[in-house]
Amino acid sequence: MEKWEVLCKTPYKEIRQMQDRKLRAFICNQVSIYSPYYSNIMKKQDIDPYKIKGIDDLKYLPFTYKWDIAPNAENPQRHKDFVIRPDEEVSEKYGHFAKMSMSTGKELIEQKIYDYKPVHIHFTTGRTALPTPFVYTKRDVENLRESSCRLLDVFEVCGDDITVNCFPFAPHLAFWTVYFAADTLNSPVFHSGGGKIVGTSKLMDAFEFLRPSVAVFIPGYCYYFLREAVKQKRDFSSLKKIFFGGERVPPGLKEKIKELLKQLGAEEVMVLAVYGLTESKVGWGECPSHEKYHGYHLYPDLEVIEIVDPESGEPLGEGEDGEIVYTSLDWRGTCVVRYRTGDIARGGISYEPCPNCGRTVPRISSVIERKSEFKEFNMTKIKGTLVNLNNFFPLMMSHPDLEEWQVEIRKRNNDPFDLDEIYLYVTKKPDVDEENLTADLKQKIIRETEVSVTNIIYLPLDKLVGQLGMETELKEKRIVDNRPTG
Amino acid sequence: MQDWSKISRMPANNIKKLQDELLSKIVQDEIFSNHPYYSNLFKSQGLDPTAIKGRSDLDNIPFTSKQDMLSSEHDPERAKRFILQVPEGLKSTPKPKKFALLGRKCAEPDPTEYRMSQLFYTKGNDLDPIPIVYTRYDLNNLEETGTRLNDILNLKRDDTMLNAFSYAPHISVWQLFHSAMTLGATALHSGGGRVLGMEKIILAMNNMGAPVLVSHPLFVLATLQTMLRQKTDAPSLERVIIGMDYAPMVVVESIKELMLQCKAANNLVQRVYFLSMAKAGFAECSPGFGYHLNPDQILVEIINPQTGKSLGEGEKGEIVITNLDSRGTLVLRFRTGDLTTGGLSSEPCPNCGHTVPRILGDIEHRHDYYDLISEKASVVFNGNALRRYMFGCKDVLAWHAEIVSKNGNDSLNITVKPAGGINEEELATKLQNDIREEHRLAVAVKKGSYEAITNKIGLESGISVKQIFDLRQ
Repeated sequence: MEKWEVLCKTPYKEIRQMQDRKLRAFICNQVSIYSPYYSNIMKKQDIDPYKIKGIDDLKYLPFTYKWDIAPNAENPQRHKDFVIRPDEEVSEKYGHFAKMSMSTGKELIEQKIYDYKPVHIHFTTGRTALPTPFVYTKRDVENLRESSCRLLDVFEVCGDDITVNCFPFAPHLAFWTVYFAADTLNSPVFHSGGGKIVGTSKLMDAFEFLRPSVAVFIPGYCYYFLREAVKQKRDFSSLKKIFFGGERVPPGLKEKIKELLKQLGAEEVMVLAVYGLTESKVGWGECPSHEKYHGYHLYPDLEVIEIVDPESGEPLGEGEDGEIVYTSLDWRGTCVVRYRTGDIARGGISYEPCPNCGRTVPRISSVIERKSEFKEFNMTKIKGTLVNLNNFFPLMMSHPDLEEWQVEIRKRNNDPFDLDEIYLYVTKKPDVDEENLTADLKQKIIRETEVSVTNIIYLPLDKLVGQLGMETELKEKRIVDNRPTG
Repeated sequence: MQDWSKISRMPANNIKKLQDELLSKIVQDEIFSNHPYYSNLFKSQGLDPTAIKGRSDLDNIPFTSKQDMLSSEHDPERAKRFILQVPEGLKSTPKPKKFALLGRKCAEPDPTEYRMSQLFYTKGNDLDPIPIVYTRYDLNNLEETGTRLNDILNLKRDDTMLNAFSYAPHISVWQLFHSAMTLGATALHSGGGRVLGMEKIILAMNNMGAPVLVSHPLFVLATLQTMLRQKTDAPSLERVIIGMDYAPMVVVESIKELMLQCKAANNLVQRVYFLSMAKAGFAECSPGFGYHLNPDQILVEIINPQTGKSLGEGEKGEIVITNLDSRGTLVLRFRTGDLTTGGLSSEPCPNCGHTVPRILGDIEHRHDYYDLISEKASVVFNGNALRRYMFGCKDVLAWHAEIVSKNGNDSLNITVKPAGGINEEELATKLQNDIREEHRLAVAVKKGSYEAITNKIGLESGISVKQIFDLRQ
């Protein structure tokens, strides 16, 4: 790992050279030998690892997809093939070294255990595939600690800030990033486990007990939590920063959150997002700014990010829209190379120094959409449309007349061969005219998504909150696909 | 804290001397000047801190109860008064660097020793959960107590561990986390039933080939019973560690038997007693040999719960603790509400040879004792005894009991889910007779569905279970 303070001031050209050097070593000395999946694929496809001299040569390596890693019924242990692990032959070699040296042998073995023995596990959330475990060795945990501190450095959080971690407890990156960051920085923190664990009301009590300056949330739950707090006339005036993770954050939501915070006595709160993947084993933070979003600051000594054309897979240039492809650099435990994240960065990647903070590390655009939420609808009987469900999020989240919403995709008469229908469940704000709102929503939805909703159903808030699983699910169920399979 | 290799082999007399020194030091150096609640108490009662020279002077200090620490609408700051403040002299020392990346150790003297790092809560069985502040000093101690747990439980680095405690900001989950981290064992901190759910925990246990499963007793029982029903073996399972809830010896035997039926590689069961106020978990080296304490961290007294009088070694009574080496939330003579059936022993452990004091027997909860009226006479109903009896009933898969009152007479309504192939009428009659005989209460037994019962007791949704519900007005 490089020194973060130095890395942030290193010109991009030098960063790139460092990445080339690290990638070369990582592929040759670790991935091609110790990763069962990649060593096998390199042998099969006759790829010479020494051919990979830098980032430009990554194109010689095949992409890795979610389904390559995810365990399935036939092969529940598949994920283990992605764990960097010296095999028996190599272990025997180290054992031999150890036997040869009376004094340093033990140290050598301890070093190998530090490098390669898994100690900590995260799972993917399993939204689009079966949950996949990603393991961390002790060395990786140190990387996670360091990267989490870098995240706080980007966010300008210091040891004196009091944080309430409202991420749901789970073996997931989001919760543990906050844990390792606060623990390393020795900053006061309450890891609540989220509303599902302590209950919304108790969580509000904890806010008033601790008077935190920083709170970390899943965006949808934050909106619900703050609205409830407004109703109960709570005092959250100590809050200065709110960080979101676990889901994408539509810009409209940030404004709504800021508005609610004002009512809770907190002025000028910075609302920022973290972008992270279980596969990347770290989260990246946005540069703090009230006006403009300057993108997620990467850690170039820990990963290589490429932006590729989602259709052809061809690498794209700086600033071009495309899919984010992640390659581990200098990790142990579970490592992936050229992993297709399924996330589309609008505005791609930038190698220019950040205009806000001046850090020279690469940045990915703040506008990220999840490709896995593009779903093909069987709407041919109406007009045949590919619907981008992402468009519902900014539209609904920022709609001033809505409290909550949920989209259900279903089949007419619950017949798998019949037409697709879209039901929209909403809770309106008090004093909003239902008829006007219905007309407005219908018009905006057709404009943004190019499909019309079949039905808009008004529900009381508590019912819709229950339907969303706000206090029972790890992530609320915004878009539910209830279509029966044929 | 002291060096464990020394303190765990220290003769009992030396341990007592050490505890005397630590007690007088913490009262004089920390509590009297920096603890809002106790400094006020000492002053208002005219107590001289220099007069507290050791255990024999403890009687002069009044007990602290959970109610004393519970904030209310009228007094929202009450819990905060139990937090040790930064000493005046330290407030002005320079603070550590703003971004000391990976720089975890700071030069002494260090105000971070007193500043909050993490916040946990008590489980909140009988009252609302009480916040407990941990400082960096306490977290370092938590790592040390984790190492001690590993030593007493004889856990090894190669033991892959599945931590299935339901997540809560509670000592149990975090003690296990630090224990696994310091050991360097592979561990999945699953969040238990309320996060992953039982099905996924079974899947994870077998996929990981985890030899160690940790959870509360009923969750372990239910998991193994589910595996038996689904005809899923647990070939990798060697050891189960239980805690967080009532764990009498009879449940240890039931779990051992089920482990064998699930074709586990071994059937070792160990118990841990987690105590929020002690900021640690205390393990038994083997069931029945007592929970091994950290005498340099806490001082344990056993008292008569009614009179408050201190009891001798081996006498059954309530556990009272005093923090000897703690920052953040700190208590003196705190009444835990937990009752030990075997009292305290300062004899060396006959099993492992550690010389630290041990709490013997089962640990019962005082809130599970109920004053009832049966046939116009007062009856003390021990809910712990009912739970112990039911743990031993192999014909019952799940149950809960309700205390109801009718015409001035209290009785028990018990809902059970019998195991398959059982004559239900016979079971109901047996339960009715046995329970009536032991508790002198009228008992009605009815059948309920497994899902309804497990949902009601919070098998997967709670951090531990609640099986007895008092429905009297």
